[in-house]
Amino acid sequence: MFDNKNLSGVVGVTKSGLSAVSIRDVRKTYEGGVEALRGVSLELPAGRITALVGRSGCGKTTLLNMCGAMDFPTSGVVEVAGLVTTGLGDAALTGLRRNKIGFVFQFFQLLPTLTALENIELPLLLAGARNVRATARERLDWVGLPEKADALPWQLSGGQMQRIAIARALVHNPAILVADEPTGNLDTASGDLVLKLIRRAADEFGAAVVMATHSAEAAAIADTRVRMRDGLIESVE
Amino acid sequence: MKTLALARQFVLRPLRRDKLRTALTVLSIALGVAVVIAVDLAGDAATGSFQSSMTSLVGKVDYEVTANGGVDERIIANLTALPVNAKFAAVIEQHVTLAKAGSVTLFGVEQLVDPAVAVVSSDAADRFGWKVDDSIELRGRTFRIQKVITGQNVGWVAIDIAAAQQLFGTYGRLDRIEVTVDPGEDAAAVERLVRATVPAAYEVSSPGARSEENQRMLRAFRWNLRILSYISLLVGAFLIYNTIAVSVVRRRAEIGILRAIGVSARGVLAIFLGEAAMLGVIGSAAGIALGRLLASGLVGMISDTVNSIFITSAPGTVAVSWLSAAVAIATGTSVAVFSALIPALEASRVAPAEAMRRESREHQTRLHVRRDLVIAGAAAIAAIGLSQFGPIDGRPVLGYLATLCAVASAAMISPAFVSAVIRLLRAPLARIPGAAGLIAGRSLAASLARTSIVVTALATAISMMISVGIMVASFRETVQVWLESQLRADLYLRAAGQPSAGIFPPIADEVPGLIASTPGVGDVDTFHAFTFRYEGEQATFGAGVSDIVRRHSTLRFLSGDADSILRSLPGQDRVIVSEPFSNKHHVRVGDVLRIALGNQTAAFTVAGIYYDYSSDRGFVISDVGTLRKYLPKQPVTNIAVYVSPGADAQKVRRELDLRLANYAVSVAPNATLKRAAVEVFDRTFAVTWALEGIAIVVAMLGTANSLLALVLDRRREIGLIRYLGADDGQVRRMVLTEAALVGLLAAGLGLMLGAALSVELIYVINRQSFGWTIQFHPPLELLAGALLLVWIFTIAAGIYPAGIARKLQPVEAVHEE
Repeated sequence: MFDNKNLSGVVGVTKSGLSAVSIRDVRKTYEGGVEALRGVSLELPAGRITALVGRSGCGKTTLLNMCGAMDFPTSGVVEVAGLVTTGLGDAALTGLRRNKIGFVFQFFQLLPTLTALENIELPLLLAGARNVRATARERLDWVGLPEKADALPWQLSGGQMQRIAIARALVHNPAILVADEPTGNLDTASGDLVLKLIRRAADEFGAAVVMATHSAEAAAIADTRVRMRDGLIESVE
Repeated sequence: MKTLALARQFVLRPLRRDKLRTALTVLSIALGVAVVIAVDLAGDAATGSFQSSMTSLVGKVDYEVTANGGVDERIIANLTALPVNAKFAAVIEQHVTLAKAGSVTLFGVEQLVDPAVAVVSSDAADRFGWKVDDSIELRGRTFRIQKVITGQNVGWVAIDIAAAQQLFGTYGRLDRIEVTVDPGEDAAAVERLVRATVPAAYEVSSPGARSEENQRMLRAFRWNLRILSYISLLVGAFLIYNTIAVSVVRRRAEIGILRAIGVSARGVLAIFLGEAAMLGVIGSAAGIALGRLLASGLVGMISDTVNSIFITSAPGTVAVSWLSAAVAIATGTSVAVFSALIPALEASRVAPAEAMRRESREHQTRLHVRRDLVIAGAAAIAAIGLSQFGPIDGRPVLGYLATLCAVASAAMISPAFVSAVIRLLRAPLARIPGAAGLIAGRSLAASLARTSIVVTALATAISMMISVGIMVASFRETVQVWLESQLRADLYLRAAGQPSAGIFPPIADEVPGLIASTPGVGDVDTFHAFTFRYEGEQATFGAGVSDIVRRHSTLRFLSGDADSILRSLPGQDRVIVSEPFSNKHHVRVGDVLRIALGNQTAAFTVAGIYYDYSSDRGFVISDVGTLRKYLPKQPVTNIAVYVSPGADAQKVRRELDLRLANYAVSVAPNATLKRAAVEVFDRTFAVTWALEGIAIVVAMLGTANSLLALVLDRRREIGLIRYLGADDGQVRRMVLTEAALVGLLAAGLGLMLGAALSVELIYVINRQSFGWTIQFHPPLELLAGALLLVWIFTIAAGIYPAGIARKLQPVEAVHEE
């Protein structure tokens, strides 16, 4: 269904077999000398949810961005969908994001000028996919908001916006779902609904879900909880 | 002190932070101000030197005695005999062509007694490389330069008056008598006595009056240029509005914080007006320098036009006075502050809590589309209403106001127009691959207020280009059709040298006879033209052989039968007048014109009004016999030669060239004259196109500026679509699609406004300013080409913002919010 030509000819196929994301001894130092990650290794298997927990500034978001091929290590290796991200050019990275990764953000990040359905269609349109409308409707139904197809974001509640964002993140069947504080801006009831959808995403789509969260409820649905502190993994449960 | 600190932090700092946007805004104001200044300076320089520069040679002159058709030389004896302490000096003023060098004004004066010497101005000496004791040849006679008068910025040559009369064959006739009253003598009493001595048909006026008269004649021309120059400033005003509106939206949270810590609403207003004022001052200052440069380029173009259709003048120097600099800065700054008023007021009304809330940082513009449409309708009705009135003091003031109302109407329609067109384009936009069309259309519609302003600014510039384009093309077509009917003779003769408005050098008396006797020549129509004054304004009096004109039916009349009108002229005190003359002086068929000719005042009945596009001054034409009755010695100035049927025009021309070799006349075939007329026409409108071009450039800068603002404001959105898999090309395409949409919307709105304005220009402003009837001929291909070009430039204006969008870091863009 998707055009994988951007991925062809790229070296660095993963050695980790079933892991959708493999992170090995990754360090990240930002300009100005701030060390965000100080030697982190992690495997994100398909169909499993990994929760990254820890205080603000512990390196969760940096790690999350690396899983989404949006940030790159200073040293160490990040393999996403079998590709070493540091070895990829812009076109290949774009292809990777288009086809293999879905993102969910704390503040939903829906385009305010597009309707719910159009927001869901967007990744497919950008990828030049076919059957855009039908696929997007399927996902809209999947998140339980078929009647909101033509609603603009400001006409939706926070929970509904996040469900639309999840539908958008999953519309292209990504191998990896990256979620940054997905319930951080929601009330408990809405948060629970969203967490159920994320669980289903892993179970039904087989996506490797990596989620940064401060919420105990969110951490509770994860298969693996990775506690981070000062750029290092403190524990894995 | 507190205000200064506030100004530094909240006015200067944001301007410095956004260097590129500040520079683009400053540049658009600078260009707007520069055009206004340049047109004024160049206009002054091109028209400011009518005053003869002879004062340095003959001293100060108090009065001048002039007469239509020339002053009788014998009058001077009567004046000299008056019992007053005053000097009376006879002057001849003619234009003379120098072999291969150009033309200068030639003065015949009494102060030079040696008939073989000449005194020249420093300007002429510099221009032609003359020095004392050089020999110069004027109309076949040699003169020795006796002296160069320094400090002269106009080219002239002075010779003995008798020699001058001999050169031009104007024996017994003077162009004027200059009166200089001795100190201590009662000037008013001298004037009374002089008036009583000269014939009643003569005029006694101060030398400044002539210059004022010339300036008055040019006022419509200069007014139109000036109004045209305001377009860039108007376009600039829309852009200032936009810049400040963007600034208000961007700094909404900052405004909230300021309000929360105790800054008053007035303080917030002051911050944004201060920002506009700062942009205005810097832009205007830069505009003055730019305007000075631009003026040097324009002065030649304006001077050409003035010389071709109004009156002969020599361009002076371009000089910026402190006053005009101060006025420019005040104008530029006022326009900037005034344009910023609405967004600044909006900023001052922001409630602190609302401003600091995250959601309200989205661009929320209060739009009242329905109310705006009602205002647009009212403005359109006002425009139509204002167009119905006549000129005020010879100027189409209400016509200009109507234009402004039409622009205001378009500005008010703009939001409804933009959203309607984008709605219409929804389906085709969605078909652009990669969601570029979808996002571009939606984001423009979402920031409707801002999009409308950019579209209006660009549409205003485009509409001016279209309306002036239609007007000029219609005018050109009308003139060409007129030339075809007017110029039917095979050959045209006039005195050699550059033709100039209001200057009619005489042709030697024996030339018509020589022509008539040339084999192959049929009819010879002699024309006697000279400048005369009517109701305080200059016009041309001409006399031709009406029988020949009638036979060749070269004149078209507004009403009545050409043949019977022309038949009624010979032997009668009847004249025909040109359309501009009729409009300017409100003359209708059957009216009686009292015109001073020589020593008498004649009463002529207007027999007809004919179409004429050769001069704005206006013509009054009689039969040659009628003119001779009043001015028997009036020389021939132009000759039209009709070749006999079957004769070879080329051969006749060669023969005429041979026979007239010693008479300093130029012989031009019909086609050459027509071509020259069209060239003059095109040159006349060159300055118009230059001003139009600058307005378009200002609008382009504004478009780039606004697209940049849209990109920077939508950093998060652009970052997000990168997360969702957009590549470089898709982001670039999105911004370029927005630019293309802005261009398309502006072209659509500009086309509608331009069509309306062209009607206003042709039927109201042109008619009231110059009195010409122009047939409507829109140049469709040219307009389509120009619109396409502007559209391509608009897309090009999106290239830089697209580059910025492409380089945005998605992680930072999404997480900074």
